[in-house]
Parts: sequence; structure tokens; C-alpha cells
Amino acid sequence: MHVSNNRWFAAALLCASLSAQQPTRLEIAPGDIRLDDGRDRQRVIAIVTHDDGTTRDVTDAVEWALSSDVHAALQDAELTPRADGECELSATFGKLTANTTVTVANTGKQPPVSFANEVIPVLTRSGCNAGTCHGSASGKNGFGLSLFGFDRDGDHRKLTRELRGRRIDTADPDASLILLKPTGGVPHKGGKRLTPDGEGYATLRRWIEAGARNDVKQAPELVGLELFPEQAVLAGPDLLQRVVVRARYSDGSDRDVTDLSILSSSNEVAATVNANGVIRSAEPGETFVMARYGTFALVTQVLVLPKDVAFTWPGDVEPANYIDASIFDKLGKQRIAPAARCDDATFVRRVYLDVLNLLPTPDETRRFLADDNPNKRVELVDALLERPEFPDVWAMQWAEILRIEPEQLEPKGMYVYHDWLRDAFQSNRPLDEIVRELLTSKGGNFEQPQSNFYLVERSTKGIAENVAQVFMGIRIQCAQCHNHPFERWTMDDYYGFAAFFNRVRSKRGEDPRERIVFVTGGGELANPVTGVVAKPTFLGGATPEIKRGQDRRAVVADWLTAGDNPFFAKNIANRVFARFFGRGVVDPPDDVRVSNPPSHPELYEQLGTKLVEYGYDLRQLIRDICASHSYQAAAHPDAPPASTFAGVNVRRLTAEQLLDAISDVTQVPTKYDRLPLGARATQVVNPTGNRFLGVFGRPARESACTCDRRNEPTLSQVLHLINGATTTAKLRDDKGRLRRLLASKDVSDDAVLDELFLAAYSRMPTDGERDKLLQKVRDGDRATNWEDVFWAILNSREFLFTH
Amino acid sequence: MTQFDSSADSAADLRLDRRSFLRGSMLGAAGLCAAPMGAPLRLLQNARTDAPAHSVIQIFLTGGLSHIDSFDPKPSAPVEYRGEYRTVKSKLDGEYFTHVIPRIAAIADKLTVIRSMTHGEAAHERGIHNMMTGYRPSPVITYPSMGSVVAHELGGRNNLPAYVCVPSGGQFRGTGYLSAAYAPFELGAEPNSRNFKVRDMTTPTGVDPDRLARRRALVAEIDSEFDKRGKSDAVEASAAFYDQAYELIGSEAGRAAFDLDKEPAKLRDRYGRTTLGQRLLLARRLAEAGVRFIHVQHAGYDNHRRIFPTLRTRLAEVDRAFSTLIADLDSRGSLENTLVLLTTEFGRTPKVNRDAGRDHWPRVFSVVLAGGGVKRGYIHGSSTATGAEPATDPVTAPDLAATVFTQVGIDPSHELMSPGDRPIEIVRDARIVRDLLA
Repeated sequence: MHVSNNRWFAAALLCASLSAQQPTRLEIAPGDIRLDDGRDRQRVIAIVTHDDGTTRDVTDAVEWALSSDVHAALQDAELTPRADGECELSATFGKLTANTTVTVANTGKQPPVSFANEVIPVLTRSGCNAGTCHGSASGKNGFGLSLFGFDRDGDHRKLTRELRGRRIDTADPDASLILLKPTGGVPHKGGKRLTPDGEGYATLRRWIEAGARNDVKQAPELVGLELFPEQAVLAGPDLLQRVVVRARYSDGSDRDVTDLSILSSSNEVAATVNANGVIRSAEPGETFVMARYGTFALVTQVLVLPKDVAFTWPGDVEPANYIDASIFDKLGKQRIAPAARCDDATFVRRVYLDVLNLLPTPDETRRFLADDNPNKRVELVDALLERPEFPDVWAMQWAEILRIEPEQLEPKGMYVYHDWLRDAFQSNRPLDEIVRELLTSKGGNFEQPQSNFYLVERSTKGIAENVAQVFMGIRIQCAQCHNHPFERWTMDDYYGFAAFFNRVRSKRGEDPRERIVFVTGGGELANPVTGVVAKPTFLGGATPEIKRGQDRRAVVADWLTAGDNPFFAKNIANRVFARFFGRGVVDPPDDVRVSNPPSHPELYEQLGTKLVEYGYDLRQLIRDICASHSYQAAAHPDAPPASTFAGVNVRRLTAEQLLDAISDVTQVPTKYDRLPLGARATQVVNPTGNRFLGVFGRPARESACTCDRRNEPTLSQVLHLINGATTTAKLRDDKGRLRRLLASKDVSDDAVLDELFLAAYSRMPTDGERDKLLQKVRDGDRATNWEDVFWAILNSREFLFTH
Repeated sequence: MTQFDSSADSAADLRLDRRSFLRGSMLGAAGLCAAPMGAPLRLLQNARTDAPAHSVIQIFLTGGLSHIDSFDPKPSAPVEYRGEYRTVKSKLDGEYFTHVIPRIAAIADKLTVIRSMTHGEAAHERGIHNMMTGYRPSPVITYPSMGSVVAHELGGRNNLPAYVCVPSGGQFRGTGYLSAAYAPFELGAEPNSRNFKVRDMTTPTGVDPDRLARRRALVAEIDSEFDKRGKSDAVEASAAFYDQAYELIGSEAGRAAFDLDKEPAKLRDRYGRTTLGQRLLLARRLAEAGVRFIHVQHAGYDNHRRIFPTLRTRLAEVDRAFSTLIADLDSRGSLENTLVLLTTEFGRTPKVNRDAGRDHWPRVFSVVLAGGGVKRGYIHGSSTATGAEPATDPVTAPDLAATVFTQVGIDPSHELMSPGDRPIEIVRDARIVRDLLA
């Protein structure tokens, strides 16, 4: 469980070092224990949390007690049932105690081994149905299972019927091939997967002995998974933390599936996890321990800290809002001090670029630097959010993921669609409203610009995949052909979600360039493996009642944009966060999955909650972001990982920002196709043309993926900045900033340098810089020397990067 | 100072090494050349100096080349499997290719053909990932392309970038978890176009080498202030590219490698005045000039419908260009130290589908190698009667990658550092296919 932010934060300020750590909270996991039948059992763990945020597994150190030993027994931290009823389990550690109830039922029942809920998990955990083994499409050595058990009926048939039943021998279970092969009793290319004295072997054997029955139809469905603890903060190497995995079923029962889950660590340098469910810390760092069981997967965050490091929270850094609270909470646990607040010059440059894609002009910078209003940063953000360049930025961002381009839409469709989007951002329409209009759009794409949404991608599956990725950040593509190995999405989920979009059609309009989007009254989509018609089903959610004649898209749009939708608001908010921080809390923002967990889970939730609370007002969320200390942080001297958000994430100016910056700093505008001189790169609608923008990674809008935009530096970019026409021509333009400054008799070299620095860096030169650079200017031809200095400024890191 | 992560600190030190090393090369430069490029010195130790291949030309036929219709014909299979092409006798005894690649068949004695490549990824991007990186795609990490690994391990040579994409890169051609500094140089221009020119390699008028050196010193002056604030991978990658750029600009020989006009018109004709023809001729120039890894792509092999007329045209271009490249390299004495790889993401279904095309088939397909210390005139492995599975000597994507790395002098078991200071082998679970080697 997480320690509350504020509480931890207060503690961190008080507590100077680890040596003073005090246990503050004891917890038993899992809570509300149920033993559902005579075979059931449940292991328990006890975790203590210290005042410095670190945790320790104290299962062996606490004093365990049951209020009565009539109903259950406890041995080696495992509960087994004795008689129906209820009792209380307690743990005591020093002055701390924790309790939970234990409910025992059906003690007289000894249910047979379930094929669906026990045998398949043993096969999965042993690797039998992995893609590289019998789960491969063509099987292995004549024996094929479905990948990770997604076709359980088929698997049962293959186990019991194929090969004249030799795989299973109910008369002599130990002679069954499925027991002989994986134990090495007969040669097995896949090696030894089970030991005869292990749990897995025993489960398979008992199942065979009892008749190898298929209970797929009757067995309760797996409906959820829990993984304990939710977080571990281990201070030092070789510390152990047990995990417990509990599965929940449709009949209300649960089961300890720690032994049946597949456990892995995303960063084994920081900590490993073994098959018995024990995490062992190693080097300082962060890892996510993942548990997979059935179609579910979960992670728990494990932070490993250096042992006994004295750490003091910087006295002058306080959280400005919920964003800082979450970021600081983790920084404190990791013993990382956040960077100081950046200076005004850095802030003004950063916030102009992030909010408007522009550099501030020298005058704007001067005014901001001279202003002594203590609230000036907040007021600047408010002012920038009202500028006309703001909607341009968001129209561009959305145009990328909505793939507004002329190939599919015709130029006219492209322009009207883009204008519609820009107007929406200009008038600050709530984001949920924009999305609902896109999803329910109909009509000619020139008259009803939103309907272009359904023309970019016209196949049912393609539409569904785009909706999932763009509005929920979920990539469901893989589930088209098989159940996703690491994720919860199954083929049923995929086709169920796609069924919302299978009645969208388009036809040619009166104007032959125009297309009219409409919805047909019928048509169904079937899962190609089962052949079963897919009922429209929300992703990870319910199957709604849809009336005859009702537009399925409206139903899914209402679900998606409802305040309690588990994906939409968080994902949209995280995309906004990512623009300002250079990376998302989930990163990339459009790859939300269990195995790519948020760096700050609470923040991810809160961003969504706040966006809903603000009525999907984009500007309000941006105000929060810009007000946070974390956004205003300077560069961090120790360069901790970017995912800590401890300091500014230095990144190259985007293609559009850089070209406009070069144009502005040189005061030589760039002419963009179909736009008047003076228009900005951010306003360019057509994603083709203009070589500079292409070289610097503007996306071609060929996919909905944020990865389409490339922000890494390359050799081509550098060559272009050194030698290319963009810099050279603008430096030498007679009407440009430099030539005009030099032509003016009353402008001193000092003043020229000030102007260039203010324009490019939004700051004045330091005395050292002034001395060195002006000395270079004086020696030789003045115009040539100034051109070289200006060239150097345009090629300098401080200019090329957002910092 | 806050200690957040001691192992991250040590990695930061290594990065610092590279940075100060680069800075040294920059400041010690009255001239703009003579410094090794990009790669940190410590890593050069992993490279063998006596490696057979000095350069790799990786020709990637995107879409998935049908093995049955090219290097692994099945003339005795039923017509719905063998397809419409006839066979042609190759220069190797008893071995046949399809009749649409007669020129390649005629130089088969210089080639090694693997007919038993196999992997399990039937989607384009996943197949490309396998064949470009030697790894199966992972949900947690992106692996670097072979070209980026070569750039990382061997660095540049002769003032040229280590890794060049002709004419451009694409998904999984990049650096994956490695620093962006090992990204390919993408030409961004088509060698077969009339005005082909790699842009921005020469200084603008009025800027001679001395003036460029002065400009460079000015930037260093300004940057020194900014660098005090902290460091980041993007900034360091940019710094590395600036160093590479200055070296390339300062080297006439380096720039000339990109100039196709220096090739005789007759030779250009022999390669074919086609996209692939001119790309391969440029690749040969780059390899001979010192580029370590050249990735050439050629699209149009995803033939789900009407495969036979389409592929015939496509392969005619390959036939001329590839056979000329091998013969040209051989006659110039460069084949021995240039490893040429003709590869693709997967093969195509043994059975022709109802649209007269073939679909994706990763279970078995063919890849061709030449030069760089591989056998001359050798067929490795075989597929089953209908070209559905490997019949003998299967070769996996990691096996192929490990073999290529070995030939350029990189130990495939060497570990690279991924984010979070997690060491990852260059290739995992692979064996070097010794049978391929001369």
C-alpha cells in the first residue's frame, strides 16, 4: 500500500537519515482471507513500513495469532481450513499490530482438480504452451496446444483424444506421456519441465487419476487477480520480500495462485524474483515484478535503495500541487533530491516553447525578467493560453494521431478537418465532447469535417485499433490473431470492441472528391477462431444492451467519455503531461499495458481524475502542470533517470519549433506552402513537403502511433545546420536581424550580442561570454565575424535544446 | 551530493569518458580530421582487428520474399505449391533457382544460400525486428539494429559514418536501447534520381576549412557554459554527430564516397538504372570507402495477390543488380572483405492462395550471403518437399546475426548496457553457423 503523499513528505522533512528509521505501519496481505473448500489454503505475509518510506518483509519476525484454532490452522505462514466459520488473524511486531478476518466455508468439500483453473495454468507456467514450444502455430513434434491456453476446449481434445489417447492414461496416470515427457521419463526435446515430487506434477496426476475431465464449461471464470504487496521499498542488497498472488473467480471464491503464476522482474539488476515468489533486492534501481495468471497480469513496483545513505530533503523545495506530491514521494523513497527551481530566463523560454511552440521575443523576455510580481509565472501561463498560437499547437498534436493527411482525405477534406479541430481548441471545447463528435460523426467529409475520422482508416478492425490506441493508449493489434501473451486482451476482447465499428460505411458524394460516412442497419463481426459472432463489448468492460437501430458508435462513445472510464481521461491527460515533461507517466503514452507500468501510478490516476473534475478543460490541466515545481525544475546536476522527473528532461526542439525558432531569431520568415508569409511551421497542415521539417522528424501521419514523430538528433540534421541553406540564407539575409543590427550606426557590439542572446537563449550573455565573444568580433572583418558568432549561436546546444 | 543510484553513476562516468574523449578530439583539432568517430575507446577492445569482413552490405527485401519463387524452387511439388516459375540450373552442381533470376544462378559459385532460415513471427514489423536485430520483439525493450550495434562496437572509419541507410532507414533500423548517437546516416536522396546528391556535405560559399574551424571553436566556447548545467543522452548524441559531421565535411575522400558520378556510365548501366541497381552501386562505393554497415532496402515483396507477374519484374531488378554487385566486388578484389547479405523478414506460404498470391510464412525461407569470409558456392540446409518447414540444418535469426557479427569481428556474446544498467548480450541463444564459413 502506498504511504499517503503528504504524510510521507512531512516525514521526509523531519527525518534526516535512514539510521533514524522507525516502523510506522504493519500490514497483513492479503486481507479478507477466504478458504473456500477443504483443499483451499492461503499463504500470508506481513510487511512493515518505516517512517522513511522503506518497507520490510517481517513475515518471519511477527508474532502470528488466530483468534480461534477451531476454523483454521496456521503453519509456516500458510492458512489451511479446519471447520466452517470465521476467525481473526493478527500479527504483532513491536508496538504495531494488524488484523484481518479469515472466512472458512465448505470444509467438507474436496473438489476435483479443475482442468480450466489448475491444469492449464500448470501447462502455462511450465512453458508447455509457449510460442516457442507446443503453443507455436504448427505445434511441436506433432503436439500442438493453443498459445498460452486461449482455446481450452481444443487443448483438452488434443490432450485426451489425439495420438490414440497415449498422452493421458487414466488407468496408470504415471504412464501418461504428459507426465513422462516433461519429467524426462522419455526423451523430450523441450527438456525437463516438471519434477515428479513437485506441485505441478501432483496436480496433473490427480487430474488424470480422476478421469481427466474437461470442466471448461462448468468451472468458475477467472475475473480478477491481486498481487501483494503493491509496492516494496528495499534499502540495501539481498533483502527478501515474499509476494502473494490471489485469483478471484466468478462464483465469489478466490485461490492462492502464487505457485501457478509466472513471475518475472523487468530489471533483474535491481531485484530478481524466484519461482517460489520471493523478491531479492540487488543493486539500487527500480523494477516491476510481474505476475501472470490466465489472461491477467499485474505488476508491483520495487524500489531498491542504497543501504544507509544519509539523505536530506532540500529545505527550500515544497510541493506546489498533486503533481509534485506524487513525484516527490517517489524521489524521497529513492533518496534523490529534486533539482532547484529554474531561473526566470530558463522558465520563460521553456514555457513559450511548450505552450506555444515559439521562442519569446527579446522584448517579451525583457519584460518578464524585469517584472517583480511574485505571481508572474502563473500569470504568464494564463496569458499564453489565450494566444492564438495555442490552438495551433493542439490542432497539430491531434492531427498527428488522427492522421490528417491528403492521401486518404483529399486536400479539401484535410483542410476542413484541421480547421474544425483548431476551432475546437480555440474555443476550448471540452476534450470529451470533441471525441464524442468524432466517434459519432456522419455525413459528407467536406460538410461534416468530423466524419473524416472514419475515412483515414476504413476497415472495421483498423478503426477499432485506432480508437483504442488514440483515445485509450492501448495497442490491441496483437489480439487480432491470438491472446496477448503479456496482457489481458483476448481475441474476444478484440472482436467485441471492433463490433462497435463494423457498421460504418462510406460512399462517394455528389462532388466526386467527397465521401459520405454513414451507418448501416446490420452486419456482424465474428471471432475467426471460434466463429462466434462478437457482441459489442467495451474493452475490459460490460456487454451493453443496444436497441435495434441504435448507433453502436454512440454507445461506445458514451462509455469512453464517461467520467469513470478506466482509460480515456488518464490517457489524454498523460499525453498532455508528456508534452510538457518530455515523457509521460506511462511512456510512450500510447502504449498502456501491464508490462509498461506508470512510473508514478498515483499521478497517472490523478491526472485523469483532475481532467474529469475540470470538465475536460485542457487549459486548466496545463495550468496545473506549469505551476508544479517539477515542471519548473532546473537541470539536475546528477542526471538521474528521466522517469524520476527530478530535473528538466533536456530534449531537442521539435522540427516545427526549431524551424520557427531559426526564422524568429534571424527575423527571416520561412514561406510555407499555402500559407501567407509569416505563418508558422506549427500551422502547416500538409505533412509532406518542406525538407527541413522532414529531416528533423515531423511525422508523415501514416500511423496513429506517437512513435511516428522522431525527436532524436541525426547526422543529416547536424549537416543541415552546419552547411544547409536554412541557416546560411537566413544568416546572410539583408533584411534579417543581424544585418539590420550591424547596419544601424547607433547599435554597439555589446548591444548586438545582447539582442542575439535574448532572441536565441532568452537571457543576457554572462560577463565571461561577453568578453570572449566580443574579442573574436573585433579581430578582422566585423560582418564576417558577427556572421560566425551568430552561426555558432544557431549551432549551440543551448539553442537547439529545450532545457 | 545525492546518491540515487551508484551503478547509474558508474555508467555516467563511462558516458563522461566518451564525452571528454570527443571534446578532446574536437579541441585538439586545428584540422577537422584524424580522430576516430563516435564510439568510445573502451569498446573498441571488443573488436578483432583481423576480422574477415571490413564492411557489411545488408540488402533487405521488405514485404517478405517468396523462397519458393526464388532460391528454393520446388519443381516437383503440385502446381498450387510450385507456382508458375520454371527453374534454371545454377552454377552449383545439381542446384536450381527459379528462371526469373538467371544471372544470380550463373554466379551461384560465389554465394552461400541458406534454405533453412526460420523464425516464428508472421507479422511484418515483428519479422523485421527479428531479422534486423537478431532478437524477438519484446514488450519491455527495443533492441538495436545490427547496424547500430556495429556502429557502437566498431565506430566509424576514414571520417565516414559507421552505419548508412540507402536511401533511408525505418522501423527497427535504429538504435533501440543504445544511445541515439549510433543511429544510421540516412541519405534522404534516391541514388537512381537524375540529380542525386547527398545534401549539406560541403560548406556554403565563403566558408573555407579555416573559417569552419573558427566557427567550431566558437560553438565550443558557447557550449561550455551550457554543459555545466548537466548532461543528457540527447545532448551527447548531438555532440557526437557534430564531431562526425565536421570529420565528414573535412574529408574529400569521405564525401566522394557518396558521389555516384564518379562511377563510369557503363558500370552504372550494368547495375541497372533502377532503384536497387544504383543503390547497390552506391553501397559498394561506401563499403570500399570504409562505411562499416550499409543497409539497402528494396520494397515490393508483400505479394498477397498476383504474385507471379509482380515478382517477376521485382526479381528482374534484383537479378541484375545483385549479380553485378557480387561480380563487381569480386573483380575489384573487395568481395573477400565485404560481407553481402540478401535478406527479408520472412518467406511466403507454400500454397498459392485464391488471389494468386502467397501470404506470410516465417517457418522457413531463404537468405543469401556472399564474401566476407563465407563459403563460395554452398547451399546450407533445406526445406521440406513443399517448402513448409526446415528439413535440415535450421538457422535462426539469432544464429544468422551471431554469424554476421563474428565475421565483422564482434563477439556476439559481448554484453551491451541497456537503460537501468541492465547488461544484454549482443545476441542471445545463438550459435555461430560455422558451416557457412570458408
